[in-house]
Amino acid sequence: MSNHDKLKELLIDTFLLDESEYSLELLRENVDTWDSLGIVSMAVGVNETFGYHFTPEEATGVQSVADIIRILEANGISFDE
Amino acid sequence: MSESPYLLRERGREDHAALDRAWEDARTFAFVPAKSDVSDAWLDAALAALPADLRTAHFALLTSGSTGHPKLVVGSRERAEALARVLHEAQASEGVDETILTLPLSYCYAFVNQWLWARVTGRRLVVTRGFAEPEDLRRALDGATNAMLCLVAAQLALLTTHCGDAVFPGVTRVHFAGGPFPQAELTALAARFPNARVFNNYGCAEAMPRLTVRAAEDGEAASDVGRAIPGVELRVGDDGELGFRSPYGAVAFVEDGVLRRIGDGEWGPTGDHAEAQADGRFRLLGRANQVFKRYGEKIALGRLLDTAQSAWPGQATFYREKDRMNEDGFVLLLSPAPSDEDVRAILKAFRTHHPRTHWPLRVESAASLPVLPSGKTDLAALATLEGREVHWRNRI
Repeated sequence: MSNHDKLKELLIDTFLLDESEYSLELLRENVDTWDSLGIVSMAVGVNETFGYHFTPEEATGVQSVADIIRILEANGISFDE
Repeated sequence: MSESPYLLRERGREDHAALDRAWEDARTFAFVPAKSDVSDAWLDAALAALPADLRTAHFALLTSGSTGHPKLVVGSRERAEALARVLHEAQASEGVDETILTLPLSYCYAFVNQWLWARVTGRRLVVTRGFAEPEDLRRALDGATNAMLCLVAAQLALLTTHCGDAVFPGVTRVHFAGGPFPQAELTALAARFPNARVFNNYGCAEAMPRLTVRAAEDGEAASDVGRAIPGVELRVGDDGELGFRSPYGAVAFVEDGVLRRIGDGEWGPTGDHAEAQADGRFRLLGRANQVFKRYGEKIALGRLLDTAQSAWPGQATFYREKDRMNEDGFVLLLSPAPSDEDVRAILKAFRTHHPRTHWPLRVESAASLPVLPSGKTDLAALATLEGREVHWRNRI
């Protein structure tokens, strides 16, 4: 499974998204379940899936799926697939 | 010299004649399951604690519910017979000719709603050992004539296992008590019992046992228990717990060897939290230990069960667990195993109706749920049940 697919599966599972809601352009402000506990849950999921610990500033600063990819890529996790 | 109360253990069919004799005998008796983890010595001590005025004309039943803490509840025969008559009216039972026993008779629900009702109204009691002898039960259902059935929801899965798609047109009343009402299974119930009216019965052993009755068609949620039956008063206290005052309720109970009288007009706890509705109905929020704060928000597991069952026709229950931040949470346990689509539908219902704090820590399933001798789900055994499968988990 590609890292894109892993991230998609994780975010659908974490925020209980319909598959049709997910896209790389998805914004936090458009997801009602991307709340404070959702941020914690997403950060735990990222650690479990990609082995990367978001700093608190990173986790709360994320505003989109693209932001998550940008942070992970900056820490050596490739999404060039 | 005072009368000596005595112990009557439920043995089987032959004991129903003994129960009739006991009811006509002046002496108070305790009617208890054939097998239980409560010893004769414990029961003898409890009966010995009864004062002179409770040693005649009363009866006692054992309750432990899901807490496992035994309590001998003492009722008045006169009050219990009055309740049986009130239930007859409230449940429109005049056209019912017989009642088919599927639960242990020493369980307060079967004792009053069936054995005593049959006795008071002159109806036939069809004795079976329920799902302990499913072929015998099947024969009784096949041969039913204007029959009333009293079930707990956990028995529905057993009914399907043993009877498949069989239809029982002779059953005209199906009652549920002893746990969440199977609102999600009404369509299946209508197919199996095409001539039956279905009722949600609510109460507790201390009420001996009935407090409310609701016809299935009069509500949309399992937590809706309807209105108090005639004579019974209900109120929600400042702490959210539902209290009752009943002219049919128990007059005393013995716990830890200590007798506690229940005075006339005294309000007693049901052990459930509830909300009063504007139309006089009540909605259960869950047992007192099923209403709690999670991240500062009030969680009512009874409400969440409605949500789960709006998307899941099988059995559903909860057990409590702390999350990784040591906050109180809960696990949703289903039976039988759901499909991936079922799980998605349940989670979607949670997302639609509740904030994340109300979501379960996990969605699990088990092939079957553990039950107590009364047929109720054994809530105390859920957290350690073996063979559970995890379908989804919250990462908090």
